[in-house]
Amino acid sequence: MPGTIDFDLLEKIDNLELSELNKAWLKAMRAAPWRIYADREIWTVKSWRETEGEDLQIRRAKLLQCILDNIEIKIHPFDEIVGRPTPGVIGCPTAIDVCGDYIPGILEGSEEIEATLNASIKIDQEDLEILRESVKTFRGHTAPEMTHKAWHELVGSWARDLENAKLKDPSLDSAITAQSTSVLSWRKILAVGLRGYIEECRQKIDQFIADGQTDMNKVYFWKSAIIVLEAVINHARRYAALAREMAEKETDSAAKERLQKIAEVCEYVPEHPARNFHEALQSMAFCNLAKMLENPIQNYCHWGRADQYLYPYFINDLKNGVPLEKMASQLADLIGRWGTQTFISSSSQKESHQINFGINNIVVGGLNKDKEDASNELSYLILHLISLLKLSSPTVTVRWNKKTPKWLMKKAILTNMATRGGIPLFENDEVVISSFVRDGIPFEEAVEWCGLGCVYPCLPTRAEHYGAEGIAAINLAGILHLTLHNGIDVNGKQVGLKTGDPRNFRSFDELYEAFLKQHRHICHKVLWLGGVAREVQPNYLRLPLLSILGIEASMDLGQDLLFAHPDYSMFGISDRAIIDVADSLTAIKRIVYEKKIMTMDELLQVLDSNFAGEHGEEIRQICLAQPKYGNDIPEADEMVKRVSRDSAAIIRAYDNSPFRRFMVAREGLAWHYFGGLGVGALPNGRKAFEPLNDGSLSPMRGMDKNGPTAVLRSACNVNFNEESYVAVLNQKFSANILKSEESIDKLIAYTNAFLSNGGSHIQYNILDTEELKDAKRHPENYKDLIVRVGGFSAYFVQLSEPIQDDVIYRSEFSI
Amino acid sequence: MQFIRQPVWGAFSPVKEVQQTERAIITNIQGYSIHDGPGIRTVVFFKGCPLRCKWCSNPENLVPSVQVGFVEKLCRQCGRCLKACPHAAIVPGQGIYRINQEKCVACGLCVQACYYDALVLYGEEMTAVEVFAKVRRDKMFFDSSGGGVTASGGEPLLHPRFLYELFAKCREEGIGTCVETCGHVATQAFATVLPVVDQFLFDLKHMDNEVHREYTGLPNHRILENARFLVEQNAEVLFRMPLIPGVNDSPENIEATASFMKSLGPGGMNLQLMPFHRLGQSKYDALKMKYEFENVALMEASGIEAVKDLFLSLGINCTISR
Repeated sequence: MPGTIDFDLLEKIDNLELSELNKAWLKAMRAAPWRIYADREIWTVKSWRETEGEDLQIRRAKLLQCILDNIEIKIHPFDEIVGRPTPGVIGCPTAIDVCGDYIPGILEGSEEIEATLNASIKIDQEDLEILRESVKTFRGHTAPEMTHKAWHELVGSWARDLENAKLKDPSLDSAITAQSTSVLSWRKILAVGLRGYIEECRQKIDQFIADGQTDMNKVYFWKSAIIVLEAVINHARRYAALAREMAEKETDSAAKERLQKIAEVCEYVPEHPARNFHEALQSMAFCNLAKMLENPIQNYCHWGRADQYLYPYFINDLKNGVPLEKMASQLADLIGRWGTQTFISSSSQKESHQINFGINNIVVGGLNKDKEDASNELSYLILHLISLLKLSSPTVTVRWNKKTPKWLMKKAILTNMATRGGIPLFENDEVVISSFVRDGIPFEEAVEWCGLGCVYPCLPTRAEHYGAEGIAAINLAGILHLTLHNGIDVNGKQVGLKTGDPRNFRSFDELYEAFLKQHRHICHKVLWLGGVAREVQPNYLRLPLLSILGIEASMDLGQDLLFAHPDYSMFGISDRAIIDVADSLTAIKRIVYEKKIMTMDELLQVLDSNFAGEHGEEIRQICLAQPKYGNDIPEADEMVKRVSRDSAAIIRAYDNSPFRRFMVAREGLAWHYFGGLGVGALPNGRKAFEPLNDGSLSPMRGMDKNGPTAVLRSACNVNFNEESYVAVLNQKFSANILKSEESIDKLIAYTNAFLSNGGSHIQYNILDTEELKDAKRHPENYKDLIVRVGGFSAYFVQLSEPIQDDVIYRSEFSI
Repeated sequence: MQFIRQPVWGAFSPVKEVQQTERAIITNIQGYSIHDGPGIRTVVFFKGCPLRCKWCSNPENLVPSVQVGFVEKLCRQCGRCLKACPHAAIVPGQGIYRINQEKCVACGLCVQACYYDALVLYGEEMTAVEVFAKVRRDKMFFDSSGGGVTASGGEPLLHPRFLYELFAKCREEGIGTCVETCGHVATQAFATVLPVVDQFLFDLKHMDNEVHREYTGLPNHRILENARFLVEQNAEVLFRMPLIPGVNDSPENIEATASFMKSLGPGGMNLQLMPFHRLGQSKYDALKMKYEFENVALMEASGIEAVKDLFLSLGINCTISR
């Protein structure tokens, strides 16, 4: 709606603060112990026993129904929107029926289980017994367990070996825990209500009978959908009844009124179409809650384009006199609630992702079908609330395009400063849309893309079987390690192909070919095993609720989304550590083959000793001195381009019909720490087991020595857009770079320059005091951190300590 | 947007032709500079300055020749610099190494030998063509922000022909041009670059000649004359005042500065305050130079605001650089 922005409203939004209810929640949330609640497992076990012998689709539906009908519910005094998966403010439900024995130590005892989880997560003895009972009940009935068995039949221990070598992220078992993450079809849910879905399912069954169709699986699917949708409606009514009961007893008139309103809303939605903002949010809360209870593992609450589908409700209510403060409070409530939903990931994942909160995503701005930017006042409000809440989740994606208005950019940068931690991030709308269109998605569908998890672009109409292929990410640095060691990994196992002893390679090209060969080998095996996992999975699991509310095509097909289908399935693969690999190859090319500073044997010896020995450090410095990506050096940048192109080609050529093409989506998270554990010393000068480059297009740590514009120039030179949907570039700044209105404008211009010259993603980490202090202690990791004062130039690490403190002081007192 | 100002020449004449062989010693070319003129700037730091301001934050740019600096805290005493130096100018000391500046010829061999970035080479001789090739790479940032190149230092106007050549090339490509100057150069230098400069960021440090001499080493009359010259030539001038506690922040000096600026006419009414900072300290250490302002406390934000308000009340368009 360009040109119709109500700037007075934006100003009102700027002056908004968190409501008393929001503050009360924040306080309770921060004080709450992190607890595992086993309640869900009581009902999964009960249902599973009762439904033995029935069709799996129906069994899984009844299982969710049993949970929703019985699980303990609670309304907290600060709730205006209701519904949490556990009675706790920070409560973690478990997913043994989905994942099997996925919590290490569960059968051993409470000390073991606490040791393997985050130290602050508590579980009581009674709950532990329930979990154990569940493990026994579902033994032999979960996809991960059975997939592991299938893999073992095929390749013996290879899958485990690969995992131990950290050659992929994060481990094969995360790949098969049904992470069919998807953004629910919010527009339709709000427009027709769950009753509308139920009617449609009934019509489908009637039509099936009328047509004389024969595939009963379809009927079971629609029936399963009806069961779960009715259960969600009933779940909402349980909350309504509880609210009425509490209202009866409530003496405080404001609280009483609030409870009565909750009851009213929960009696109406999600069954019926939402009539206003409050109902829309409550309807969404119930649907996501049910989605989470269907599969609590990594099933995040993604918002999608909230500023678009919620806008009509927001603006109508404003016109009808609903106070802005009230809507803001409700929206903040739901953002916070979803952002602080915890889950347990299996131990290997925790290492990689280091998360306790689920990562969810909210998108603002972006083009609409008419190719106009659709940013509106609600986009602005969302950013504002994010900056007030200061949570680590949700991730906020600003869909940047050439028409993104300046007022939104400015708010986004201010939000970035408030949150410090790279929220929001900027993704190039045009690059993402054209990537989807290139892969055959119609423009009208592609333009509705939104974020999944951290930076991953997805379509709300499609299921992203993120990780379902057993792959998610391939560690290219690990593959380089294999290449340099004739297929032997860091643990001394022959995980890779014998591509030859590099000492015998006569040219760089020979080495490079060996690397690609190794890559193809690993890639083939991993994608193949992933394909096997995909076949095994729906024999043990179905997700009727996620299918019906997440994938509109499921309705017509009568098919659970776990049966991958070309109409709605997408598979994103991330080939990681490209920068480390490319910089290492550049170094080898120069050191061994061009300048002949040392032989391959000498280089490999020093790498294997992790740069120890008399000349170890000297050689490391020679390695570090070779051209590095991130400094606008053509030689280094071209190698990145070469590796990027060839790696993407290997992944995309893999034929796993009917999904011949995999999308390459180079995201990152905190994986670089985990991935580094599987990689010995590298010829780029990185020591063994140290972190790899973060993101996917960020330079090697501390090696971007030519300042922030050179980094972006390198990123533009390299440009992954042809190959990948996304490339993650993290930029570190100390807060003193954003001290004035003018400097904010300049950061906007910097962002615009990069993205309008083909950059696809950028996010800023505004270093806080703690991080600056870390920079004092570990200067080697912060060589690139600059300090900017008029007429003055310096790198942070070169400053003496009291002066570094001056900088820290200035950062703290910026805006 | 090509716009070359036509000055009233008076006694000074523009350069007729410049050969493309101008050289200067450059210490740094710094992208994403955001406090040195409009938009995103790439700042070119020139080495050598006529003044010796006691608060200077870029001491590496005072001497007009290449120097080697030594960042003590990054040194791990590996001894490689010692072996690399052909002039025995590195002196192993008590736990640390030092540079004997008398023996050092700034060849840079020790800098190359150092693994830990503890040795820094300040300055590299470059041609204007080389500098231009580097700065133009940031063009996309200039375009998106209305920025460009800023010559700083040191005193860039000690190299007017270099600057003319560099800026003429920038003009051809639509890249903005600014000069940060202390003002203490020959007026001819200003005349030379005038046609190719968008904006002069011109320091006014103190109005009292004697105080000026005490703190900067030189009197201020040439600076004031040049200021007047630029405004008379209709050059775009933003005066800048490094706001140094106890030196130039007195009401008397502020009033004198304001009345000087007003005497220049409407073209001389813009002033930016540059609050004192000590961030240059580590470079003094690296060069084993004494920093007299080491222990001078930073000004409170309220004090800076008060100075700004005073200027505003005197009719000067005053802002603060942050």
